[in-house]
Amino acid sequence: MARRASVFAALLVALALATVASLAFGAIKVPFSEVIEIVFGNGPGGPDQQIVEALRLPRTVEALLVGAALGIAGAILQGALGNPLASPDVIGVTGGAGFGAILIIILFPGSIALLPIGALCFGLLAATLVFLFAWSGRNRGSATKVILAGIAMLSLFTAGTTGLLAAFPERAPSAIFFIAGGLTSSGWEQLETIWPYFAVGFVLALLLIRPLDRLALGDDVAASLGSKPQLIRLGAGIAAALLAAASAAIAGLLGFLGLVVPHVVRMAGGSSSHAYVVPASAIGGAALLAAGDTLARTLRAPIEMPVGPFMVLLGVPLFLWLLRKAV
Amino acid sequence: MKRLALVLALLAALALPTGASAAKAQRIVALTPFGANTLVRLGVTPVGIGQTLGGNERFSPKLKGVEELPLSHPNGPNLEQLASLDPDLVLSSPTWAKGNQAMGSLGIKVVIREPRTIAGAYADTYKIGQLVGMKHRARLQLKAMRARVDAATRGITERPKVMLILGVGRTPFTMLPNSWGGDIVSKAGGELLTGGVSSSSGFERISDEVVVAENPDIIIAVPHANEDDIPSLTEYLRDNPAWASTTAAQTGRVYVSVDNSLLQAGTDIARTIRKVRRAYLQN
Repeated sequence: MARRASVFAALLVALALATVASLAFGAIKVPFSEVIEIVFGNGPGGPDQQIVEALRLPRTVEALLVGAALGIAGAILQGALGNPLASPDVIGVTGGAGFGAILIIILFPGSIALLPIGALCFGLLAATLVFLFAWSGRNRGSATKVILAGIAMLSLFTAGTTGLLAAFPERAPSAIFFIAGGLTSSGWEQLETIWPYFAVGFVLALLLIRPLDRLALGDDVAASLGSKPQLIRLGAGIAAALLAAASAAIAGLLGFLGLVVPHVVRMAGGSSSHAYVVPASAIGGAALLAAGDTLARTLRAPIEMPVGPFMVLLGVPLFLWLLRKAV
Repeated sequence: MKRLALVLALLAALALPTGASAAKAQRIVALTPFGANTLVRLGVTPVGIGQTLGGNERFSPKLKGVEELPLSHPNGPNLEQLASLDPDLVLSSPTWAKGNQAMGSLGIKVVIREPRTIAGAYADTYKIGQLVGMKHRARLQLKAMRARVDAATRGITERPKVMLILGVGRTPFTMLPNSWGGDIVSKAGGELLTGGVSSSSGFERISDEVVVAENPDIIIAVPHANEDDIPSLTEYLRDNPAWASTTAAQTGRVYVSVDNSLLQAGTDIARTIRKVRRAYLQN
């Protein structure tokens, strides 16, 4: 219990530091006192206020939301499927979202405003197809069927994406940031459209915390306790699909986060209880993405780089260190 | 003795081909519009040309009927299709780096000629002239090109701050002075905003914070799109919340250029400069 409490405390400190850094640092130097004044509504106006208020603040909120959503999506999927390799990739969401976005960028550049919606819809379509296949025929709803259907769907949509990029190579540079995963400074406009998907996903994930703990005992034991394993798995899949597709719509493809963060918090806290893993993954994911994004836009400022590689740089050493200790 | 020297000189003149006949003897494939049009201006018709990004409107009418080779990144043309044209020389681009190597291994002479600046276009015009044995014509061409560019840049009345962006979406790249479009805009009288960034590639993804801080008067986007997409893309870019406070967005001076005249070098430098001045910089 004390160990979990200290992990929570450390994660909260990391989250606070990452949030402050995300607001304080950028391509343009804005005095920290001014940043504080602007955030609390007492800004002096001018370009600095515009930079903090219209660019950094929404971007920081997006990083926190997307990081939390991917952390939770990974945690509930790994719990529901009983598979440590589960992540939003496994239910096809990442592949579908990638295809939807690249389709708009490559074939319909005039409708580029629809990119987040394209990513969201195709991400959800891929997940729906996975669920349809996994819940049909024999052994419907089993973890193995979900994973195999997910891998098949991921391959299908990835092939479509690769085909589009190969057919229109001169248009590929516009797709790099989406594929590598990157936040943009697009104000609140994307969140205004996407937030309901996050909201439903977060609520569903919270409702699944206790059922997932029962499912961790095995399908038979969970059923004997009155739970419905297939229903729990479906609920977790829907919640993860909503969270991951909404995340892809805003920040591109960041599958690594959903895979690694739940493992890190599990190993650090020494517990697999979902009452601990789900909120801890949310905080850890949010802190990691906010920190990674700050690095991506400040390390070679004013040049911005995709955030995906930075999260890997931040997350992998910690993950490997914990893995070594755990083994 | 004098007679012998005269006979020898006559024989040598007959044995050595003239510049024009040397050019006729060469089978040349030009993979870039710049290379193809330069050849035409020098009086040489290539046996094949590369398909351009964004249509054929920039090709000289004299290239009508010349076989067009589809290009794919990073291989360039299909090697079997290229080999069937039996070229002696291919004027290529660094974009087709992998293909250039493969063409070389087929025994074809490959010369990279795709300028990224106006000065580079002048230099490459002369070098292509040298390659095809048309140095004199190349010199005349250069003189005419310089005169046309001088005329196109005369009488600039103002120098607005311009940001030139490449690509679509909310993560566009900024074109730098060492890009074709960047150099054209600078020559047309624009003060190119780059956030102090330099890159050998000629473009970089720079922070929107820099865009707000440098506050461009004009933003010109060079996306990959069709002409029909201009209104929706312009609206999308003008509505970009990250740029809302810039003079360009507030005065409605966000433009979209969907032809590839700012993206890829051409021989129509003066015409492109005039278009930039008239349509975007209004100077």
